[in-house]
Amino acid sequence: MEILTSLGHGFAVALEPLNLFWCFVGVFLGTAVGVMPGLGPAATIAMLLPLTFNMPPTTAVIMLAGIYYGAKYGGSTTAILLNVPGESASVVTCLDGYQMARKGRAGAALGIAAISSFIAGTVGVVGLMLLAPPLAKFGLSFSSPEYFALMFMGLAMVVLLAGESMIKALLAMLVGLWIASMGIDLFSDASRFTFGRSEMLDGVDFVIVAIGVFALGEVFGNMEKREEGVMLPVPKGLRNLLPTMAELKACRFAFLNGSIVGFIIGVLPGAGSTIASFISYGIEKAVSKHPEKFGTGVPEGVAAPEGANNSETGGAMVPLLTLGIPGSGTTAILLAAFILWGLRPGPLMIQENPDLFWGLVASMYVGNVMLLVLNLPLIPLFAQILKLREYILYPIIFGISIIGVYAVSSSLFDCWMLVVFGLLGYAVRRLDYPSAPLILGLVLGDSMERALRQSLMMSQGDLSILVSRPISATMLVLAVILLCLPLFRRANAWRVKALEENG
Amino acid sequence: MKFCNRIIIAACAAALAAAPAWAQFKPTKPVEFIVHTGPGGGADVLARFISQVIEKENLAPVRFQVNNRDGGGGLRAMAYVAEKKGDTHAIAVFTGNWLTNPLTRAEAQHTVKDMTPIVRLVLEPALVAVKADAPYKTLKDFIDAAKKAPGTMKQSGGSITSRDNVVRQLLMKETNSSWAYISFPGGGERIAALLGGHVNMMIIEPQEAGEHIKAGGMRVIAQVSDKRLAGFPNIPTIKESGFDIPNVPQVRGILMPPGVAPDVVAYYEDLFLRLSKTATWRKYLEEQQFEDGFQKSAELSRFFDTYTNQMRDILKEAGAKVVR
Repeated sequence: MEILTSLGHGFAVALEPLNLFWCFVGVFLGTAVGVMPGLGPAATIAMLLPLTFNMPPTTAVIMLAGIYYGAKYGGSTTAILLNVPGESASVVTCLDGYQMARKGRAGAALGIAAISSFIAGTVGVVGLMLLAPPLAKFGLSFSSPEYFALMFMGLAMVVLLAGESMIKALLAMLVGLWIASMGIDLFSDASRFTFGRSEMLDGVDFVIVAIGVFALGEVFGNMEKREEGVMLPVPKGLRNLLPTMAELKACRFAFLNGSIVGFIIGVLPGAGSTIASFISYGIEKAVSKHPEKFGTGVPEGVAAPEGANNSETGGAMVPLLTLGIPGSGTTAILLAAFILWGLRPGPLMIQENPDLFWGLVASMYVGNVMLLVLNLPLIPLFAQILKLREYILYPIIFGISIIGVYAVSSSLFDCWMLVVFGLLGYAVRRLDYPSAPLILGLVLGDSMERALRQSLMMSQGDLSILVSRPISATMLVLAVILLCLPLFRRANAWRVKALEENG
Repeated sequence: MKFCNRIIIAACAAALAAAPAWAQFKPTKPVEFIVHTGPGGGADVLARFISQVIEKENLAPVRFQVNNRDGGGGLRAMAYVAEKKGDTHAIAVFTGNWLTNPLTRAEAQHTVKDMTPIVRLVLEPALVAVKADAPYKTLKDFIDAAKKAPGTMKQSGGSITSRDNVVRQLLMKETNSSWAYISFPGGGERIAALLGGHVNMMIIEPQEAGEHIKAGGMRVIAQVSDKRLAGFPNIPTIKESGFDIPNVPQVRGILMPPGVAPDVVAYYEDLFLRLSKTATWRKYLEEQQFEDGFQKSAELSRFFDTYTNQMRDILKEAGAKVVR
């Protein structure tokens, strides 16, 4: 009951006209930033920070948080329509979202992404509201061995992302791991694979690889087929631009899966939304009745990662607000903002600043509704992009990609890197290697290596630290089961075949 | 009173040096303010704050426009500054990274010695913190525990070239003890590792520690500072705890591209001297619990040398590969 009173109070704060207005500005800007590849919520919040100095802190927090979760809504748009991930966590959405668009279901994919984002975003806020303090403690019990096990489980997903050939998937994953190892090694300060270039000291930006491999690879690949005219079918009529009941029904479990996985991983300060979306996609595929269809444009493949991506926001707010511990670049900047206003998020904030905490929680409900209302009507509009002829569309994708990369770093070197990875993406396509395992290796490689080395430093080189802790042992067992999954399937297929032959 | 004297002397010196300079140089277009971090990073926040103060207090006739050149641990910004040789409308925030990173990175093409020092602004102190329920009440308790079981105690921190590790190296050498140093890329993860009981100690910035101490999650056992901070009057400094190691401040200040004329240097020196005396700036230092580390160009140039030499030795001992 106490929570309901507090929440009621929060809504009173969130529904004040001033707060409502800035909440809208926040989610609108967030969507816009999410749609644009490259420019992310972290940089946007930092740039708009000075604007908020004259606002009451609660209003400012409501707006900045709106940018944060609004960007997650927008990220799927270019991923689905153009195969250009709008922000890092949308990479997984490309896998099935773009394929849906190619089948003429672009509107449906966008709709599912919006609905899933809405459901999961709301679930994330409910989780934040009800579970924040106990969950924050749970997050702290995670240390390097647990993170290693989590990343290992993520990497084991490769068996689910592999297409025809497991060997090709593993090779692609290794290339991803190799790219992840580039740059300065945190532990020894030695530089690895920098080829003597100071630009390479930070390693390769994930966004560059993702845009290069997905978007440019796709453009290069399609440029070969010049004879084909209009590329993507766009059905006429509003009804055909929205998801059908059957599609929504297929996503039932994905909505739930994405919401829960995203929230839990969000609570952990050392993971992130990209990992969350990969894992929920993997789970979705593992439990699916038709796993072979994933990657060809199934709605669940859009719903699960988009959901995870959005409920991760609610999860990430848990350690930020209750412990003052930021788990990602964006939450770190939010924390810096809090400090500038003289607010110190921490265990005492809920009691000391109920207006702010409950106002923020309530505004996130309001903001999620705004985002749904804002995004659904835009879908038919966005879908029209696909009506462009390819000789117009491809240069546009090219331009958006380059601008996106340049906007992040204002470095021409990075633009050349983009071209290199575009060519890699093209090669991968031509040689029939799957690109998802490459991205998976890249996302997990760095944090997985770090977690392993941290664990071994903690145990003075004793590997048993990885299996002697219950949470990490459980996840490692799950990972091994995951790795064996293709073997079971093969055995099963063989048994079925044998039975049929006998029968 | 020593402090006041320093200010007065500095002010007189600035007045003397700057009086003719004003006639000679004044910025005529917006000044580019280069920082080596992305928006929201430590140096970026400082630069944006400075440009705001300059604008609000009307300290300069032009605007100061922050330009983020992040990447390569500061090397990209350094290269950018070095290429602007002779540019009188470009300044940059430097931090300890600018001094340390070229030492270990063969990829670096420039060091701060190639650039024009302007002023040193702040010294950031730090605190040695343990988990609130840890048995160590003083730094000596911790070090005794580390001596009893060498290598089993753990400290969370950043890269091995960071101040956290430098203080550890100095303490280990001084006391002949050893404990593990576990690197985490983000400040949040370092704190989480301490609060979760996965490491025993960390070195943390005062304002970062404040709330955790208040909430009863963390205890401070020593200060990495020359004198006790206002916010922590009862906590001894490392020296007061009985460990005679040099203080390792985190330093931030302003420098310019190479080849800038003395009158230009004098103008910016004076600008930042005036800035450092505004009430807004004093309040900022107090809130952030920073020490005023104001130094002028000539002094700063000597500081660059001593600091770099000190760091070179420490890094060698820490096992990093020093290339210059």
